[in-house]
Amino acid sequence: MVLKRVLQLLVLACLASALRAGELYNHLMITPQSPVLEIGTNFTATCMIINTAEITAKDLYWNLSNITVSNKQYTKINRSSLSVTIPVIGEKHEWLFCSCKEVSNYVYLNRSKFKHGIILTKGYRPGRPENLSCEAVQVKMGISSTITCVWEKVGRSSTDVPTNYILYVKELGRNHSNETNGNSAQVNLDIFPHHMPLEIWVEAYNKLGRIESEHLSTDADSFVKTNPPSDIKIISEKTFPTSLLINWTHPLAAEYLKLTYKIRFCQNGSQNWTYVPLVDTDKYIQSFRLQNLRPDIVYVIQVCCKNARRGHGYWSNWSTNATMRTPEDRPTSKPDLWRIITKVDSLNERRVQFICKDPVFANGRIQRFDIKIQDKKDKFKNRSEEWERIPVNRSEADGSSSHREITFLKQIHLADEKSVKVYVTAVNSVGKSALASLLIPDKAYGVRDLAPVEGLNLSSHGGQLWLEWKSPKNKALSEYVVEWAANGQTDWQRENRATTHTVIKGNLEKFVCYTVSVHPIYSGWIGKPASVKAFLEEGAPLDGPEIVDRKLGRNDVELVWKEIPQHKRRGFITNYTIFYTSGTELHSVTVPANTTSHTLRSLSGNTRYDVWINASTIRGSAKSLNHSFWTQKYAAGEIEGIVVGVSLGFLFIVLMTMLICIYKKDVIKENLWPQIPNPGESTIGTWSPHYPLKAETPKENCLSGISVLDVDVCDGKCVFEEDKASLPLKKDKYLSEEHSSGIGGSSCMSSPRQSVSDSDEGGDMADTTASTVQYSSVMASNGYKGQMPSSQQQQAIFSRSESTQPLLDSEENPDMLLQEGSKHSQRFPRQPCFTHTAQNKDGTDPADCHQREMEQQDLLEPLDFYPLEEDSEQTTPTEGQSADWLPAAPVSSYMPQLGGYRPQ
Amino acid sequence: MCGFCLLKKFEKQCDYDESSQFACDTERRMNGHVKSMHFQQLMEAAAALLSLLLVMAVDSTRTVAASRNQECGNSLQQTLKLTRLVQKESVDLIKTYKASQGEMAELFCKVTVADVPDPNISGLEPSERLASISIHLQAFFPHFKRVYEQQTDLQSPTSPLLAELITVSTRSKSLATLINSLYQSLFPNLPVPEPAGGPTTLPPPQNVFQQKVYGCVVLKTYKELLANVSRELRTLKNKVCRRRIQINTLFL
Repeated sequence: MVLKRVLQLLVLACLASALRAGELYNHLMITPQSPVLEIGTNFTATCMIINTAEITAKDLYWNLSNITVSNKQYTKINRSSLSVTIPVIGEKHEWLFCSCKEVSNYVYLNRSKFKHGIILTKGYRPGRPENLSCEAVQVKMGISSTITCVWEKVGRSSTDVPTNYILYVKELGRNHSNETNGNSAQVNLDIFPHHMPLEIWVEAYNKLGRIESEHLSTDADSFVKTNPPSDIKIISEKTFPTSLLINWTHPLAAEYLKLTYKIRFCQNGSQNWTYVPLVDTDKYIQSFRLQNLRPDIVYVIQVCCKNARRGHGYWSNWSTNATMRTPEDRPTSKPDLWRIITKVDSLNERRVQFICKDPVFANGRIQRFDIKIQDKKDKFKNRSEEWERIPVNRSEADGSSSHREITFLKQIHLADEKSVKVYVTAVNSVGKSALASLLIPDKAYGVRDLAPVEGLNLSSHGGQLWLEWKSPKNKALSEYVVEWAANGQTDWQRENRATTHTVIKGNLEKFVCYTVSVHPIYSGWIGKPASVKAFLEEGAPLDGPEIVDRKLGRNDVELVWKEIPQHKRRGFITNYTIFYTSGTELHSVTVPANTTSHTLRSLSGNTRYDVWINASTIRGSAKSLNHSFWTQKYAAGEIEGIVVGVSLGFLFIVLMTMLICIYKKDVIKENLWPQIPNPGESTIGTWSPHYPLKAETPKENCLSGISVLDVDVCDGKCVFEEDKASLPLKKDKYLSEEHSSGIGGSSCMSSPRQSVSDSDEGGDMADTTASTVQYSSVMASNGYKGQMPSSQQQQAIFSRSESTQPLLDSEENPDMLLQEGSKHSQRFPRQPCFTHTAQNKDGTDPADCHQREMEQQDLLEPLDFYPLEEDSEQTTPTEGQSADWLPAAPVSSYMPQLGGYRPQ
Repeated sequence: MCGFCLLKKFEKQCDYDESSQFACDTERRMNGHVKSMHFQQLMEAAAALLSLLLVMAVDSTRTVAASRNQECGNSLQQTLKLTRLVQKESVDLIKTYKASQGEMAELFCKVTVADVPDPNISGLEPSERLASISIHLQAFFPHFKRVYEQQTDLQSPTSPLLAELITVSTRSKSLATLINSLYQSLFPNLPVPEPAGGPTTLPPPQNVFQQKVYGCVVLKTYKELLANVSRELRTLKNKVCRRRIQINTLFL
């Protein structure tokens, strides 16, 4: 260490003296110059002061990439030397500067001379290459003179200190090498040194060191990889249907390399290679006979080779495929015979179809099946049944394929009480197989004695259907037939008697419902099957159920749907979920899978509902089409109830009315058909105001004359105010003459009321004319021309009716008629306002009154009361009058009288 | 230090030096006798132990001898294989040569030419015969070079003959190197064989016909030499390697 230091100082001294000569010297100098450092170690650099006394070591400091190194890492060697120790971190190169503090003007002015830097190159030591392997491949008929080697790099490498590799190949007396920075290299020799020792190794090196890999010292032939054997020929010999002979050519002459071989073979289309044991082939051979093969199978054969010396050399690639079919042999196993039994409607017989598969070891192309059906009962009678030949046409590839085609042999109709035994044999070009037989028992026997298996259970996992069952524990049990059927296709497989669980070996499809049955076979007799339905894999249904019917109610609806077709179910339906909504809230109901109808309740009446049904399997669900309906406005029977109720009510009213009519018929009769005095019984007497009141017999000639009754029943309310003054007088008149009677009492006011014939005007008239008031007066004339007097000059004849009926006003006021005949027109409008009851005086509606007035006016028209009509027209009351009159308008009471009077 | 350990150490030493095996065995027996003198009461036990150790020593010596014999056989076997390969290649070379020389090629090879090395192997002892093989092989190298030069003028550069000539020449050098190595391994105390009569004499300048004849004769003679070498090596394999086994057995 000391020596090293001394050497450094000497070098620095030399450098300093050399630089001084050229005046381009630097006052600071770092040693070592441009070092290559190993990452992870510590590095020590020394800075020396040269040719100046301006500064000392205490004025120096170190910078590493513009960062001043802590003075704790400094070591003062002497007055003019300062060293620093820094850890080498990071792969990137860095500058290390030795600088001086500006302690004087000289230093300040010559700053560049008081700074020196070195670059620190960092890297890793090379790692030892591992797993070196070399290979020389075959080219044409010899081995290439180029050896290719690969190895694994070990350790890290930085960009500043890269690691390179040298591949060395050492022959006897000669060395070859090649350099690379990768992990593989090639070395070219003059010739490939067969049977010569070779030593191969790799050396990794960089600026920080070098290291060698392990040395491969071995025979050069250990690195050889030859081509695979060529010209592979396979010979098939008819006399050896289970054997094939393979011949090939050595890829390399034996003088170069003795080879050993490896053979593998498989059935065409399969990748399950069978390897011939190396013990049989690790010789320098050119042919090999494969044995124990299956007849009539196409085999693919490959061969490869390597250096015969164990542990040396590399296996060549496999040769190209060589294929050959083994010769045919007679079938060495029975055909697999089975049956399908279906019922025949309305007959006591069964339809039996016989089907079979080719023998497992058909050993060739099956050309035909020979079948014989023997009736069990006729067994001993006809021993020489004819064999029936059923030719089949198999394709060439069938022999090697694992799929065994199902052949339909024959169909018979077998009576239920009959049993038969069927024999079948398969025939190929070489010979016949052994006989396969099947017993079809009579129907009763099968049901009675041949018990099925119990506890049949199916499960699907690993893309296969697994079955499990319990043995029937019958000594006669010989085997089982596992049968599966779907979409009208049936397949089966046989299991031995010890089997209690198996997997279905057929090609099952997903989402298809299979009916799997296990038939126990009892000494050739087929027992009762146990069946289960199963899916290999379930999925969501393709479609939802179809809603086919609905029965609407007010608050409920019954939905009826159709099951999803089997091929669209794709799984077992676990349940149906009915969704329905009226637009606001979605409701759902889940019903079991075996349901096809359901009644939705608690619905709102007269509401539109959308409904759909989801059919679910364990894998998902499918939705039906949306179905919309309106619930009914009325519940069933509601309308009928209303109708019945209304009808009953009406009936009740009618009955009540009838009862009332019956019980009150007198009143009704009295009201509707008042008792009208017979005018024929009335007499007209001569009456004058001064004539004492006495009844007079009416004269016959007076019957035709009708006087107009001017009856005013208005009380104090409906009279004019000015008339009120006359009321006392009227009262007096009433009191004095209330018992007077008059004709024309046909009005409804024939009740013993005050038959006041005077009116307001009458009052006026009383004031203007005479105070005498007559209740009724009959104006007799020679001929009746009308109820209105034609003129005042007409000589009035007063006659007194002898009728007991009250007299009409007109009858009682003949004077008025005579004296104020022209005023009739003014009184007439008041007639319609006559009310027959005093109680109605207040409640009389003026409009109603006026209407009635008009109606009566209309009624009067056909009565030829022309003068009245004229008056009516001429004496249209003033507005004030009408307004005063209308409220008190009495109802006319003489109209019925007129009607009834006309016949008179 | 226990006696057993001493014995083991001694055996190791014996294993290292094959020539002193007899002495080692004698000393081993002596050592056992001394022990028996000192430990009378353990006489029988020590004798049994000694016998066992002796058996082990003999067995290990045999193993070493067998491995050395195997090594001898392997070297010889490799040399023999290479000889056969060169022989095969020389046969192929002659065919190629004849094919590339045009008409009368068969005639060329029947002519005798002087200055071609003798294909016969001389010597009585295996070492001498092995040395003779090495010398004869080396003697052919200048002739091959001459033939190659001559044929380079006569053939196109892409002629397979030239390539085969180089291959046989290079392979022959390898064979010579291998035989020298074998010689040194089998007879380490004998000097490396050198040609006795000085450098090989090459024929003077020849015309094309003479060149063709010369080339064929060289190749044909070389093939004969290789046949002799092959035969000699087989003999040597039996003699040398078996003898070494016998020598080893004697020491036991």
